[in-house]
Amino acid sequence: MLLQFPITNNSEVDLKTTYDAVVVGSGAAGGMAAHVLTSHGLKVLLLEAGKYQDTSKVLHSMEWPYDHPRRGKMPPDYHALSAREYTFRQSPYAQNSPYAKVTSYVEQWGGSDYSKTLVVDEKQNPYTGTRYAWVRSRVVGGKTNIWGRLALRLSDFDFRAKDHDGYGENWPISYADIAPYYDKVDLYLGVSGFPENLPQLPDGKFMRPLKLNYASLKLRETLKGMNRCLTPYRAGVATDQLKHNKYRAHCYGRGACNRHVGGCDIHAAFDSTTGLIRPALDTGHLTLRPNSTVYEVTVDKNTGKATGVSFLDSETKKSYQVKARAVLLAASTLESARLMLLSKSTLYPNGIGNSSGHVGHNFCEHVMGPSIAGFMPDLVGKPRTLDDGRPGGFYVPRFRNLTSRQGDFVRGYGFEGGAGCGMTPGTAYTTPGFGEEYKKKVREYAGATIEMGGFGEVLARYENQVEIDPNVKDAWGIPVLRFNYRFAENERKMSEDMAKTAREMFEAAKFEITSVSDKALPEGWSIHELGTSRMGNDPKNSVVNQFQQCHDVKNLLVVDGSTHVNASCQNPTWTIMALCWRSCDHLADQLKKGEI
Amino acid sequence: MGPNLNRRDLIKLLTTATFASTLQLPAAEPGAPLFFSKDEFAILDTLTDLIIPTDDHSPGARAAGVAPYIDKSVAEAFLSEDKESWRKGLAAIDKLSDTIHGQPFLKATRDQQTALLKKISGNEEHPQTEPEKFFGQLKQTTASAYYTSSIGIHQEMNYKGNVLLEQFVGYDANAAESGMPPWSPDK
Repeated sequence: MLLQFPITNNSEVDLKTTYDAVVVGSGAAGGMAAHVLTSHGLKVLLLEAGKYQDTSKVLHSMEWPYDHPRRGKMPPDYHALSAREYTFRQSPYAQNSPYAKVTSYVEQWGGSDYSKTLVVDEKQNPYTGTRYAWVRSRVVGGKTNIWGRLALRLSDFDFRAKDHDGYGENWPISYADIAPYYDKVDLYLGVSGFPENLPQLPDGKFMRPLKLNYASLKLRETLKGMNRCLTPYRAGVATDQLKHNKYRAHCYGRGACNRHVGGCDIHAAFDSTTGLIRPALDTGHLTLRPNSTVYEVTVDKNTGKATGVSFLDSETKKSYQVKARAVLLAASTLESARLMLLSKSTLYPNGIGNSSGHVGHNFCEHVMGPSIAGFMPDLVGKPRTLDDGRPGGFYVPRFRNLTSRQGDFVRGYGFEGGAGCGMTPGTAYTTPGFGEEYKKKVREYAGATIEMGGFGEVLARYENQVEIDPNVKDAWGIPVLRFNYRFAENERKMSEDMAKTAREMFEAAKFEITSVSDKALPEGWSIHELGTSRMGNDPKNSVVNQFQQCHDVKNLLVVDGSTHVNASCQNPTWTIMALCWRSCDHLADQLKKGEI
Repeated sequence: MGPNLNRRDLIKLLTTATFASTLQLPAAEPGAPLFFSKDEFAILDTLTDLIIPTDDHSPGARAAGVAPYIDKSVAEAFLSEDKESWRKGLAAIDKLSDTIHGQPFLKATRDQQTALLKKISGNEEHPQTEPEKFFGQLKQTTASAYYTSSIGIHQEMNYKGNVLLEQFVGYDANAAESGMPPWSPDK
């Protein structure tokens, strides 16, 4: 059904050419940079540390568990870290592990055998310092191969947050600056949603919204009376066919999104490889080289400008240098910071782009963990319905600290949730007892369940940072990151409030509550790392300008989540791509005018 | 022989290999467990079927092949403690049966076996004794194996998904925004 075109894992790169731009990393940001710059006719080299893997072939989204020898689980000598292990073990977490391969916690989810090659081996990629559950995907497309698909916009409650509550810094842009680029991303990649006209969660150019199942609908009705909103999951999924992209299908409602850890083998859900990189390759202006581990941004000693990058072939470990008029870092928030801090020279003794000393700092993300589960009594024992034939459940946008100050914390949180029964019933693990009564209860309550979990803004704080640990090196001999990052009082109070408001909403909907938790999961759990090279107008307290150019080095851009000034509580992928598009339009203009 | 080869693969290999007769393989009864002894396996099989029995809705754990699946998983477990916890747990249950009923688990009546499970399942959230802790492991593994089996997914749960919908079913805003509709099976 889908077109197959080979991407090789050992593309030859013309090292004598000076490319218009070299892009480091091929996830949401790197793919977008490649798409936008090539559409302007510029010659782009895209370097990715990992291999190319065809997720159309590896994910097997519709294979039944019983057709797999281990019901979808990884081989016995593979091990996924548990939440507990991040707490009782010291990082590097895979150190001294007897297992052949150790992965981050995401591979604890069902169907991990299918995605085990899409995430990094912790043994090859260690890091040190404070507790952090760091999920990385070194593969063409990066984490977009397995992302959660929630495609949200930020608003001026985020961009102008300091004006609103006095905390932190404003972004150097406001919603009006980025809105046209959100529209472009929506139309080019496809997003499903229902317009709600909320100031804190702007609407997009939506394709068909996802159906809400019955308990979700009941909660939506209830929240209307509480001045809160429940909206169908805004999924970065093409629910209608995209006419301009032959590499992607529309959604067929298979309910496969969360099985096999994540990912979409028909590419109805956005992934960078089919959504951005393949169309960019078709322009003839893009060269993609997988297996390329970049370890330094090179610099011209006279002009101070970036001249290109040095990289290792990830397999042969042979070193290469490539030249470009502009260098774009899109290696992920933490890897881009690592690369800048590693790129030390006499001109830039603290790392490139780091005269402010802010690279690696103001590191922020979302706190997760507080959650609620229950069931809708009317639905107990009702005949089975198709509950998971859609790419997501529902989203409850932020309602705290908008029109007035509530609680003793700043900022807010949203909830992601779902209702009904998937392929295997969650009630099998929460129903006590055994025997006929247990079996009947599992069956009758499975379709009646509803649950949701909070995603809260972790405040951007200077003291939350990463730095280079010179004593520990990865499998390629490159020094690793040391974390100095902790949740604090605001996150704790916010977590307590999440549990409180979740309870009041479920009670108002007359759901029976089976569990409520206000406990945060380990730092890193949301996989939403942001902020290590924040943007701003003042070169003394920010790293890049509003077009993601380093204040110190104008032809070095950081186009991933590093540049976000705060984490908002809305998921970042769509904002990363909208910002990147805007910056690349600006860069293309400057390159054409010879200003760079 | 790799640890990933199961008995069925082995039989397939034997019947398809041209020089099968020259292969030196330990004699094994067809269907014999890979890891557990015959008695251990019988205890395990009985326990799983007590946890998820056949009822008038669908077949239970025994019919769904839960014990052979657990046997295969434990046989290829990477850490020896993951194997030993099963052996110790089953032994503890056998011993407990002897203590409370005066006979080994397999000789006890179904009522006595059920009474034993009742005893060790009373403290599920905060298990204290070894048999209580083993019950958690046993139940979790049984549930996971049963509800991922063909019987579990299709016959017991009547799962409707994992199919290609002809038409993607979206959110019907007009119907939904006019108030809470009554529930019907297609909702």
